[in-house]
Amino acid sequence: MSISRIGTMALIAATTLFATSAQAQGREVKIYGFGAKSGVVRIFGLNSEAAMKAAADQINKAGGVTLGDGTKAKLVIEYLDDRCTAEEGINALRRIAAQPDAFVAVGPTCSNVAEPVFGILQKKVGDAGDTGLQFPVYTDVAAKGGLASMSQWAFRNVPSEAAMYKSLFDWIKATHPEVKTIWGGVEKDFAHSNATFGVMKDLATKAGFEVKGQSEWLLADTTFSTQVRELRRGEADLVMISAHPFTTCGVLKEMQRQGVKPKMMVGLTSSSSMETLQGCAAQAEGMLIPTSFAPVTADARKAAGALQAAGASMDLHNAAAWENIYTLKELIEKAKIMAKPDTIQADRQKIREALANAKETSGLLGKVGRTDDREAVKPFLFVKATKGEWAVAHKPN
Amino acid sequence: MSWIDFLDLMQSLLDGVMFGATYALIGIGFTLIFGVMHKINLSYAAASVGAAYLSLLIVQVAPAPAVYLLAALSGGVLGALVYYLCFRFLPLSQPLATLMSTVGMLLVLEEAIVHATAGMPQNYPAAFAGVVFDIGPFMLRGDLLFVFALGCAAMLGLKLMLERTRLGLATRAVAQQPVAAQLCGMSVDGTNASTFVIAGLLGGTAGAMTGAAIGVLSPLLTLPLTVKGLVVTVIGGLGSIPGAILAGLIVGGVENLFQFLRGVSERDIYVMLMLFAFLVFRPGGLFAAPGGRD
Repeated sequence: MSISRIGTMALIAATTLFATSAQAQGREVKIYGFGAKSGVVRIFGLNSEAAMKAAADQINKAGGVTLGDGTKAKLVIEYLDDRCTAEEGINALRRIAAQPDAFVAVGPTCSNVAEPVFGILQKKVGDAGDTGLQFPVYTDVAAKGGLASMSQWAFRNVPSEAAMYKSLFDWIKATHPEVKTIWGGVEKDFAHSNATFGVMKDLATKAGFEVKGQSEWLLADTTFSTQVRELRRGEADLVMISAHPFTTCGVLKEMQRQGVKPKMMVGLTSSSSMETLQGCAAQAEGMLIPTSFAPVTADARKAAGALQAAGASMDLHNAAAWENIYTLKELIEKAKIMAKPDTIQADRQKIREALANAKETSGLLGKVGRTDDREAVKPFLFVKATKGEWAVAHKPN
Repeated sequence: MSWIDFLDLMQSLLDGVMFGATYALIGIGFTLIFGVMHKINLSYAAASVGAAYLSLLIVQVAPAPAVYLLAALSGGVLGALVYYLCFRFLPLSQPLATLMSTVGMLLVLEEAIVHATAGMPQNYPAAFAGVVFDIGPFMLRGDLLFVFALGCAAMLGLKLMLERTRLGLATRAVAQQPVAAQLCGMSVDGTNASTFVIAGLLGGTAGAMTGAAIGVLSPLLTLPLTVKGLVVTVIGGLGSIPGAILAGLIVGGVENLFQFLRGVSERDIYVMLMLFAFLVFRPGGLFAAPGGRD
């Protein structure tokens, strides 16, 4: 072999190697998200997007994700707005599923969107008679109980509110024997608030409390005097409110006006965010809420710090979005996802199976169990509004 | 019904009437614009809430009255903006044109609030927080009494303005016969713009008072206040300021009465039934002049 021929071959090899390396450096894996980025619950989508992007950024800084062919790729997040409406949510998912690089989506943020969105997915994998969308959705925020059972393509990483409130009421029963009676307050026209109130009421009764009655209002109500008067007449030891921050604050301020001071207050999981404290920190003082996020572990503190640096704050909702990105990174590697246009349908199947087979994932507060009906069993704790912040009140075993 | 139930019923009614003062303030703005231009400005309540949001810019550094004042001034500016964007250059002979432009403006203002605050509720300073008058077994909220007094003052102020000033004379002339008013040398555009600014000043005050009464501002307020404002305007009589005040108090009272008697799921049905009853049996509302525009 002549020297010139060896030189030519070496040049070709070096060029090929360089090209492959450059291609690997430039590869991107896109994870789509969708949720409310406009409308009155815009904060949910903004926070979820920020958490997903911050998690992807951390993963990319650590070298990115390894694909099925051994190449490294960067994670890229693209987040679509569904405005917290069913039709926009369905549109968003259909648009995502039509992309040649989409093999999984994280979202939505609202339960009233998750329900119809899961409804358009194929119910049972492999059912040729079902023309529903065959696309895996890994929900981070929408919290209404039991939704993932609607389709085998639907997965959720949201806490079980039933488990959380059961534990909370049991704990109150054990530690506050003076609390015997409860009065409820519920935002009737919001799917999550209304459904969770039923759960709370049932579990409070089972824990041995007497639920004396309930007051009801609507999401956009501006006056709560009649409801709070009912509540005052109830003279219950504990007031539990299943409502989102705007009306929670309206009710708490009316309670203050009417001098209603229960021994204890319990709130909805979604209210354990900065929104409530921004609206009515003084009136919410002492309110107890179960949550699946607080910066109590090293991972949680790191995630909260990363998000704060990105100009957002972490709560139970977007903590799940962060966890989802890390879980998907692991599953992309485990399932050997190729992320190429010609493998995309197979990639969707593979990531669905990987999610279905996962028995446990890593969470910011510890290990997250997975159930057969594709829901999560998340660690949680109880936080209490204290001087304008959510402080940890108790961490159940 | 027990004595306690009866007292609660009366207190609910009283609370509703008092809270109705905020609806009355919104209704006055709707009716003022209708009275002058014979057009409905559907973005009025959204602009009022927007003005209250703008006043939050100084909430950390200024006392509550200054915050309310800024809300009123912002309302005036937004009123002028709405006039120039939604009315000034549109064909006023086409009723749908301004109706649709103001619907668009309502959505734009609502989304602007949502984008500026991410939809998060904002704490709003209360007026006369904690001032409560106990009258026998009943309780009267000082802040709502203040809003009621403000509504009455606005009514008197507007009456004086309309009857005693050149602007008022021009406003009445333009409302009755715009072409004749123009022939007499009055500026129709200038008068209309002034009306929007005055209505905006009232709207900003209404937004601030609503925020103060609830204690929280939220973009969720825009739509219910728009609906309440329209209901109040129709029941009070299109163009009637005393009618708007009385109708505001009635709507607030009826709302709370049925909240007490029938619960939240049926409450709004009765308010709407009352509106239908007015439209059928007294379409001119409580105080409307029997004749239309000549």
